Amino acid sequence: MSEIKLKLKKETEIPLEAESITPDNFAGKSINEIKKLVVYYGREELTIGDFFNVTGKSEEKDDLIISINGNLSNVKRIGENMSGGEIIINGDVGMHVGNQMSGGKIQVNGNADDWAGAMLKGGELEITGDAGNYVGSAYRGFWKGMTNGVIKVKGKIGVEAMLWASGSVPAKRLPTLICGSAGSFLGIHNHGGTIIVEGDVDRCAGADQIKGIIVIKGKAPKILPSFKKIGEVKEIELFNGEKITGKFIEYAGDHSVKKNHSTVSKKTGELNKSVNGRLYIAA
Amino acid sequence: MAVKKIKTIYDVLCPFCGTLCDDLEVDIADNKVVEVRNACQIGTKKFYSSNPNEHRYETPMIKKNGKLERASWEEAIDKAADILANAKRPLLYGFSSTECEAQSKGVELAEILGGVLDNTASVCHGPSLLAKQDVGQPGATLGEFKNRADLVIFWGSNPVHAHPRHLSRYSEFVRGYFRKDGRNDRYIVVVDPRNTHTAQIADLYIQVNPSEDYELLNAIRAVLRGVELDEKEVSGVSMEKIKELVNTMKTCSYGVIFFGMGLTQSLSHHRNIDAAICLTRELNDHTKFSIIPMRGHYNVAGANQVFTWNTGYAYSIDFSRGYARYNPGEFSSVEVLLKDQVDASLIVASDPASNFPAASVKNLFKHPLIVIDPHESPTTVYADIVLPAAIAGIEAEGTAYRMDNVPLRLRKVKDAPGECLTDKIILEKLIEKVKEKRGE
Repeated sequence: MSEIKLKLKKETEIPLEAESITPDNFAGKSINEIKKLVVYYGREELTIGDFFNVTGKSEEKDDLIISINGNLSNVKRIGENMSGGEIIINGDVGMHVGNQMSGGKIQVNGNADDWAGAMLKGGELEITGDAGNYVGSAYRGFWKGMTNGVIKVKGKIGVEAMLWASGSVPAKRLPTLICGSAGSFLGIHNHGGTIIVEGDVDRCAGADQIKGIIVIKGKAPKILPSFKKIGEVKEIELFNGEKITGKFIEYAGDHSVKKNHSTVSKKTGELNKSVNGRLYIAA
Repeated sequence: MAVKKIKTIYDVLCPFCGTLCDDLEVDIADNKVVEVRNACQIGTKKFYSSNPNEHRYETPMIKKNGKLERASWEEAIDKAADILANAKRPLLYGFSSTECEAQSKGVELAEILGGVLDNTASVCHGPSLLAKQDVGQPGATLGEFKNRADLVIFWGSNPVHAHPRHLSRYSEFVRGYFRKDGRNDRYIVVVDPRNTHTAQIADLYIQVNPSEDYELLNAIRAVLRGVELDEKEVSGVSMEKIKELVNTMKTCSYGVIFFGMGLTQSLSHHRNIDAAICLTRELNDHTKFSIIPMRGHYNVAGANQVFTWNTGYAYSIDFSRGYARYNPGEFSSVEVLLKDQVDASLIVASDPASNFPAASVKNLFKHPLIVIDPHESPTTVYADIVLPAAIAGIEAEGTAYRMDNVPLRLRKVKDAPGECLTDKIILEKLIEKVKEKRGE
């Protein structure tokens, strides 16, 4: 186990883009080599050493912990594309933290800005404070968002979390989001993601969901008209086999989506509710 | 009294709204607009505004001791280039009310500066573009609608006031090849929270609760698929009315949805458009249906086109890495200003001070501000440098794109007053000077 410590020298006026801060890039490098890694400041190409004090020792990627201190709310893209190791951020962090990471862990002891864990492919992102909009979402124009991994947010998250999440049980890809409370359009265009909300959600949860499970343990304002009530359940089985107990009302939907997952029988005119997405709201 | 010689110019384009009417006749005498025929009230006013008046800038202005004072072009360009060349992250915003050739120069300047480039779609139909990238868009040109559409739906748009001649040229009263009887051959539906003047001339008016359009679209899509809903009423609209609307949509021979800011800028933003486009797509299983945004500025569609063919993206573009990156919400002008992430701004043919949130405007004024504009506006009043422009489409030629992305040629009907230059020439001067200062 080795550790590299970074400390922000002073807060920046315009955003600093530091996708070079990943265990993949730091592994096996000396302190001087790490200090020379590139960061982007406006149109200038500068180095990590210009903005951070760097101490510690770096060895193998998977045994490496990078801990970062300071107010990083204007530092974007930390942990982008990382595939192993661990990053611990003590303080708030800027946009795109851990986007597209495929392995390892990021722990944010503070709040995160928009697009935290966007298009996650694996690994774990934990945020102890709140997170912004588009947590674990697809970037603009992508039809496949988060494909695997886990995001845990203790506080509230913004709008359109888990946009275009794409999971598959046979392929063992189970994108999962656990959060305190959520803004509107939670899990929109959900294709097999699992979302558990400990508290309340805003309007339009599960809009355009094709498959997937959304569990809301708190309150939800009026759900979308295209969701059909199935009944009351006492236990929910998630895709990974885990079970949640408690009194929930089960809804199937979104039935407005024209996909085979929610078919209306031509013979009987009945709606097949068994194959499409599920929305559970505490009774 | 000497009789003034009046020159009439025919087939003039109107540089006001996205309808881009191309049949105006303008009378000019003594380099003044004396009469405008065929244009709507708003368009007519725009032509008259080019006549000499106290709100027009005729020379470059530089702020000295808190007051804008007249300056020479050389001094103003030099100072503006100084500000831009030294900025770490300048913002270039506006462009929707000028011609494509100038917009192209704006892209060039943004790339040289490594700045943030955005146009007014960011605060109007940007959500439409986002939805289009997510789910596509079945569209057509206005001529198609004029000749074929027998069902016209205005959703969250009020053309009687915002696009006054749209109804008589393309969508309501006009006679088309297959719609020989004009208005009588078309069924007009208006969906709007307010009983607007457009709603008052419609065959079916659906009053939706404010900001609940998404739920209504959602219900319509489900009903169209044959799903029996549990609800009796959605967004303030009864299930009978929803079924009536779905039936009308399914049985028409060619339907079109014209949507406005009522959809793009209410609570669900691009998700409204996402749902509306999905609905249109699904309606094509039953009949022919199209959907098209009612673009506001006459050349905002052009700004999207020009930005896209130059950079690959329609708006909210960041050049800080030397190549174009796109992400509304991160690089869009309102957000970068709100988070105070730029250190200088160049505004071209736009007035963000009147339209942006107050917190963004405050940060806009905090840093050096250069404005290229013909007229005095809340933005120019707080500018450090004002570069006076000729009004594109009246005092300068160029290309503009209609709301359905058809390019048309703007005409010059009169000369610009004073020392005014066209937007394109001003931007070229800035590019040259910035390059010189950067030692390129």
